[in-house]
Amino acid sequence: MKPIVLSFFFCCCLLLTVTPSVDSAKLNLSKVLKRSIGLQRTKRDLSSLFALREAEPGQFVRPDDVRDTLLPHSSTGTGVRTKRSKNSVNQSRRSGCSLGTCTVHDLAHRLHQLNNKLKVSSAPIDKISPLGYGRRRRSVPSRQMKLEMQGGHLQPVWRLHKLEALLRRT
Amino acid sequence: MMAWRWMVPLFLLGIIAEVAVRASPEVNDSQQQIPNNGYTDLGSTRQKIVTAQFECYQKIIKDTDVRAGLMCNRTWDGWLCWDDTDIGVTAHQQCPDHFHDFDPAETATKVCMDNGHWFMHPESNRTWTNYTTCNAHSKESRMTALNLFYLALIGHGLSLVSLFISLGIFFHFKSLSCQRITLHKNLFISFILNSIITIIWLTGVANNQELVQRNPTSCKVSQFIHLYLFGCNYFWMLCEGIYLHTLIVVAVFAQKQHLIWYYLLGWGFPLLPTTIHAVARSYYYDDNCWISSNTSLLYIIHGPICAALLVNLFFLLNIVRVLITKLKVTHQAESSLYMKAVRATLILVPLLGIQFILLPYKPSERVLTEIYDYVMNILMHYQGLLVATIFCFFNGEVQSVLRRHWNQYRMQFGNAMAHSEALRSTSYTASSITEVQGCYSIDGHSEHLNGKSCLDAEKCENSFN
Repeated sequence: MKPIVLSFFFCCCLLLTVTPSVDSAKLNLSKVLKRSIGLQRTKRDLSSLFALREAEPGQFVRPDDVRDTLLPHSSTGTGVRTKRSKNSVNQSRRSGCSLGTCTVHDLAHRLHQLNNKLKVSSAPIDKISPLGYGRRRRSVPSRQMKLEMQGGHLQPVWRLHKLEALLRRT
Repeated sequence: MMAWRWMVPLFLLGIIAEVAVRASPEVNDSQQQIPNNGYTDLGSTRQKIVTAQFECYQKIIKDTDVRAGLMCNRTWDGWLCWDDTDIGVTAHQQCPDHFHDFDPAETATKVCMDNGHWFMHPESNRTWTNYTTCNAHSKESRMTALNLFYLALIGHGLSLVSLFISLGIFFHFKSLSCQRITLHKNLFISFILNSIITIIWLTGVANNQELVQRNPTSCKVSQFIHLYLFGCNYFWMLCEGIYLHTLIVVAVFAQKQHLIWYYLLGWGFPLLPTTIHAVARSYYYDDNCWISSNTSLLYIIHGPICAALLVNLFFLLNIVRVLITKLKVTHQAESSLYMKAVRATLILVPLLGIQFILLPYKPSERVLTEIYDYVMNILMHYQGLLVATIFCFFNGEVQSVLRRHWNQYRMQFGNAMAHSEALRSTSYTASSITEVQGCYSIDGHSEHLNGKSCLDAEKCENSFN
């Protein structure tokens, strides 16, 4: 009875000492907490992504989306948003679990990606070739104010014609 | 008896998970229209690119912190968003997963030239990002993934068969039952449940695009169960380690250990990280079916597992140390002494899951990664088979019980002479390994404490000498 309790206690101590060192390698807890606001943003973006999917075909970006998220002085806090770039979706470093025991998740993830039949099967060769991707940055789209009928009221609306057109063209 | 009380709900848990996943394809048919929602030929690729571009422009506009010095401007190149980069630096990013043949494990590169402009391709004189590595090895990588999948299925199938047979033996022959075997039973059950849920997860969820697309709650529940049982498996390995260590190193003279603590650690504790992971995942990384492995939140599950394995490594080293000291007392030849120690270590490694500690980190180089993947998957998916083989089929006690029953059976029916010959030859090859069972009964002291587990004290001593 006693030895087992003792050894369990010992294990817990070891667990406690080891866990932070393992975790701190990737999951810096304080960083995570700091980022949590930003992450919530990402989560919201994810959900808006799914909302996008349900939108009618052909209209990938609804005007409301463009207006809401691109207007610099919209009602939701912009101070938070400026930090988004630090944890964008496309991170350069390899994220995820790289411990030995994670291979089973890696395998499931790989199989999942392998079976994604909704994707285009192969990347267009011409866009990988020297003539392909890597255009210079286009100028930041300009905004225009326009009066629009919304719900029976005439309202001023910021419009980004250039950007919308560009997004549709891609 | 105690064991059964715990096992019944766990079996039910496994069955529920299976039903949940099996049930979903039926619902699926009625909701098929969601994926083909009018994105005709391009599927989700176009949508992904558009979303990425949208986010990139958002970022370009919002990011106002201007950095000093000459640098390449942030840009959208058509597939990926590139941050401001210092001159002379090559920017790296994971390849986008827009296309089926793009491997997200590879990296795309964009060079920032010394003049503060992005690299122009000499052939076209246009700014150019190097995506050539993204699909260079995609065929091989796809083959590897499929091979690993079949390896895993075969491994779990074999493990399940051998574990079921072992459990049948353990439960049928009551004379075998003792604390050590009870722990083995629990470990084997956790292996079985883990194998079942892994097979379900790999075949039913990872291979079922529509299900993941639909993202029902049942598949998140099954991921939760998967992670829980995965944790249980490793914590039962820890239990085996603690038991062995307590038996051999801490308390040679102690009375019977209380198994309730083992049950709590083995079946109860893994709930904690799994629940934390589920909550964190639903708040911060709520992807479809929680199938992505691209999140550090998985460390919530694998951190404790890794710690448990480290503890087991420590136990193993300590056990081997004690083993060697005790063996030295008996004045054996040095060579046979070390052979015994090495053999004991090798046999305890799969039981305690040490192999995952010895290969802790995934290498980043491509060929090495592939080798590592094969090794890790084989070690992981065939561990149940290995453990069942070593600790049941090659176990001296089990063999002697089986032999006794076989002889009884033969006397009853007075035939089957030919078969006994075959049995004897297999048991002979196996008997060389049984001496590790001596780990459990290091010397004369442990005879009384292990009395129940050893059918005859003589055998325990023999097996060790």
